[in-house]
Amino acid sequence: MSAMSQATPTLKATPTLSRVRYSLAPWARIAALAVCALLTLGPVIWTVATSLRTPAQSFDLPPQIIPTHPTTAAYHGVFQQIDVWLLALNSTLVTALIAVGQMITAGLAGYAFARLEFRFKKPLFGLVLATMMVPLQVTIVPVFLVLKTMGLTDTLLGLIIPAFPTAFGTFLMRQYFLGMPKDLGEAAMLDGAGTWRIFRSVYAPLATPGLAIVGVLAFNYHWNEFFRPLILETSSQNYTLPLGLVSLQGNLGTGSISVVLAGVVLSMLPAVAVFAVGQRPLREGITSAGVNR
Amino acid sequence: MTDSHLPRRTLLRYGAYGAGAAALAGTAASWDRLTGADIPGRDDGSLVVATLGSAFDPATVEALTKGFHRLHPDIPLRVNAVQAVDWSDFFAKILTQIAAGTAPDLVYVATEGVQLFAQRLGVSLDRWVRRDAAELREYFADVHPSLVESMMYEGNLYQLPMEFNAADMYLNKQVLKRAGADFPAADWSRDDFTALLRELKRGGGSHFTPYFWTNRLWGGVVPWLFANGTNLLKESKAPGGSWLWDTFYPAADRQGRGGGFRWTTPQATTDRVEEAYDYIASLVQEDLCTRPEGGNGNNLVGVFSTGHVGVTPAGGFWAGGLQQAGMRAADYDVQYFPRWRTQRHQFGAAGYALLRTSKKQEAAWEFIKYAARKDTMTRLFRTNQTTPARRSMLNAARYAASGPAHWQVFYDTLDRFPDTGPIPAPPQVAEVTDVLLKYTGTALASPRAVGPALRRMQGDLEQAMEREV
Amino acid sequence: MTNTQVPNSQVPPVRSRPATPPVAVRPSVRDRGARLVAALFLAPTVVGIVVFTVVPIIGSVVLSLFQWNVIDPPHFVGGANYRTTFTDSTVLVSFRNTLLFMVLAVALQLLIALSLALALNGRMPVWLRSVFRSAFFFPLVLSAASISVVMKYLFNQDFGVVNWLIGLVGIAPVPWLTSEHAAMATVVLVYVWQQFGFSFLLFVGGLNNIPKEIHEAAALDGATGLRKHLGITLPLLSPTLLVATVVGIINALQVFEQPYVLTDGGPGDATRTVVMVIYERAFEQLDFGEASAVGVLLFALIMAVTALQFRLSRRFVHYQ
Repeated sequence: MSAMSQATPTLKATPTLSRVRYSLAPWARIAALAVCALLTLGPVIWTVATSLRTPAQSFDLPPQIIPTHPTTAAYHGVFQQIDVWLLALNSTLVTALIAVGQMITAGLAGYAFARLEFRFKKPLFGLVLATMMVPLQVTIVPVFLVLKTMGLTDTLLGLIIPAFPTAFGTFLMRQYFLGMPKDLGEAAMLDGAGTWRIFRSVYAPLATPGLAIVGVLAFNYHWNEFFRPLILETSSQNYTLPLGLVSLQGNLGTGSISVVLAGVVLSMLPAVAVFAVGQRPLREGITSAGVNR
Repeated sequence: MTDSHLPRRTLLRYGAYGAGAAALAGTAASWDRLTGADIPGRDDGSLVVATLGSAFDPATVEALTKGFHRLHPDIPLRVNAVQAVDWSDFFAKILTQIAAGTAPDLVYVATEGVQLFAQRLGVSLDRWVRRDAAELREYFADVHPSLVESMMYEGNLYQLPMEFNAADMYLNKQVLKRAGADFPAADWSRDDFTALLRELKRGGGSHFTPYFWTNRLWGGVVPWLFANGTNLLKESKAPGGSWLWDTFYPAADRQGRGGGFRWTTPQATTDRVEEAYDYIASLVQEDLCTRPEGGNGNNLVGVFSTGHVGVTPAGGFWAGGLQQAGMRAADYDVQYFPRWRTQRHQFGAAGYALLRTSKKQEAAWEFIKYAARKDTMTRLFRTNQTTPARRSMLNAARYAASGPAHWQVFYDTLDRFPDTGPIPAPPQVAEVTDVLLKYTGTALASPRAVGPALRRMQGDLEQAMEREV
Repeated sequence: MTNTQVPNSQVPPVRSRPATPPVAVRPSVRDRGARLVAALFLAPTVVGIVVFTVVPIIGSVVLSLFQWNVIDPPHFVGGANYRTTFTDSTVLVSFRNTLLFMVLAVALQLLIALSLALALNGRMPVWLRSVFRSAFFFPLVLSAASISVVMKYLFNQDFGVVNWLIGLVGIAPVPWLTSEHAAMATVVLVYVWQQFGFSFLLFVGGLNNIPKEIHEAAALDGATGLRKHLGITLPLLSPTLLVATVVGIINALQVFEQPYVLTDGGPGDATRTVVMVIYERAFEQLDFGEASAVGVLLFALIMAVTALQFRLSRRFVHYQ
């Protein structure tokens, strides 16, 4: 397998990195990268800039990145038109509980697939991975019916509970646990520890970075989720932020563009905050998934 | 390595326990929110009314609830403002509620859904209207019969119209001034319209398109079909309805009124329809109008208020939106839709529909009457985001701040052109709309695409209309 | 990635009896105990998957044999939904669109992500590398629906910034959202803009794992630039490429928010994807039976494509 298996993925600023020498001059390469970065961030910058203007100034071309008369009127408008606090509370509850739930299920299942022996291990893992291929839209109606029998339609729990199992999270945690040295567990076993104790005392604490990755990924995905809340929530008190933002577009499109964009910026903020804090584990999680094992 | 982890491990362990405890505590504390138990009136036997959330802001909804409670303290009411981008999105959500077994008692339904609801889900209001005729006389005297007729189906009345919007023409006066063009007359013709667009184009410069329109069932192509004396589907009237007309309307207004509209055979390939499409295609080719972008036109307020667009069809719902976008009352104005073979306008209306599944139909009727009262409607329609169905509510004071100067156009459209009718909305409206939008886009996407697109539209429409809903 | 073979290293060694005190445990009880523990570990995930994925798939298959419009009870129609599906031009077009979208989006996404990852691998200050990494990853943090609303403004033919930008270099305004061909390109662009960061990071990780020694050895042999990349880097990167491609394809086949918000499937059916058709059949036309039939077909397609990828991977992917 890979000559460079990692116990714990760490940010590499070490000599093992191969920094290549290119034929293209460094400054040209960096300039090209800079252009790409600008193109990538451009729409976001435009969104923020336009949210600070009145609609009357929003369609001027060339677009002014720095608004000449910045105003937060659009943000006031958002708070007037939708109950931002309630939507944010809903989104936070749903996302936080899903993140915690996924950390638990992925941690347990990933450990089992990595370290425990049992029949049907291979097919079960294959089944778990196969569920990544199932489109949400295929299962949403039956899931809706299942939730209906549980009495959970149009509740936040109905969004949270079906999201507890995570195929990608399980895969990640399995990778993580596979990368840990076996001798730790064996030493504990020789001391007479049972499976649960080995997990709880030896491996679980080591897995915290991996769990953080699962948590941050879960947060990122579910904070911005649109389709499931669209179908499963009908009372406006149960809407999450992406759903609520849609209504800023107004009846028959009479909503103001600045207000719509202000709403987008507001909903972006928590995700960006988590991104800033969780950037490292998130990056490491994704890069380590690409590492051959 | 193991040793250096020990203190950290202990810390992590306690940290994990702490986080776990916090999560449990948080879950327990927010249990009501998680299960939706904190939503007032849920599962407690209230009368549930589902409205289009973006139409009424939270303050209005509260005023509505309080007012009803004062009048009927024995009927608990819950208004569920369902947020949706447009009517089809709204219906999808209502249907989801019905599927979940939490159907509301009353649903605010627009013309797009009147017949679908009437046929599958609704209860006709005839017996209550007849019973409370004395109470409703004043209401019907204040509401134009065209609006009422649009809410009838096969001889029965299913809703009392609360609001409507006819497709009139909005003009940006600054753009007119820039091009040196005159404000058009009330009976301006289609050729006058084209000439105006050309004038505006000359004075406009780059990044300016004279005519903006959105591809949807209301507005879009349909007003031009109406103006050309045709329609997407063959239109006729159901018999019956005289019980209503004879009771509430004078003889002059009763002429030609029936039991509701019927839309049957598709006629997308008739000459007049093709003519209308050819006209718009020619506008597109001359760069006088925008290409048909789907959606609900949320670009529109921005581009109109900034003078990037000069003319667009819209109804009374726009006055408030333009004011919010920063446009002053004097900067724009409204005129009737231009005349072609006819000057028949199209409108969409909305009102409360009573669901067959409701167990509180008497109470629901009381709400419908309450909502139709003038004081209630005045409170509901404070901002000019729509046109109230009651004629007496349109006055200079209402439109003083937002404009337009010719606000009378909104309601006079119904009086001046008595053949003004609703958008074609049979029970198969979802599919009809999809087909219309799809092929309008194709028809105008390239030159000479109109004929083939209309033929395919006809085929799909026939298929759609054959389907049992 | 999805190598479900249990590596030999994971097979537990034969246990020797502990020295003190001898614990006489019957092997069968031990095994049962171990299995029970394993079951408990797996329970949340596996039970959840069974209840919320496996059962619903079976439910979908069953539902596809009925006609049901929510309001009335369902009634059995056998294969009628499938027959309708195969003759419905909208459904067929949507499959074509979805496959076309998948090819374009994944190819573009991988190309951009790989190029940027390679470019980033060169010399530069650490902080600058960090800035670029964050910038390219940023779009993933945003909600697809919200950003599509923004993109709809930017790509507007008459007033959008994109047409203004290309106008600066003399190109005529493009009808991004209203012309059949351009609309598909626009949806692909918006989707790739948001998603390329994921593949980008996969490649960055994969590149980081290529030992410096290999590059140096290659340089000594005289291989530089493009030759080096083609001959050495790419094969070493092939496991990562596989992961990126598999994940990319699975996601691209399920695209919904971007075409839904940007063009609502238009103009005509040019950008209507299979998932949109499922949504429309179910929630706008109230035909849950037909929607399920289309869903089952999509699932089969995804499985087939993924299986094909793994078959091909045996030939092309090199593990160290």
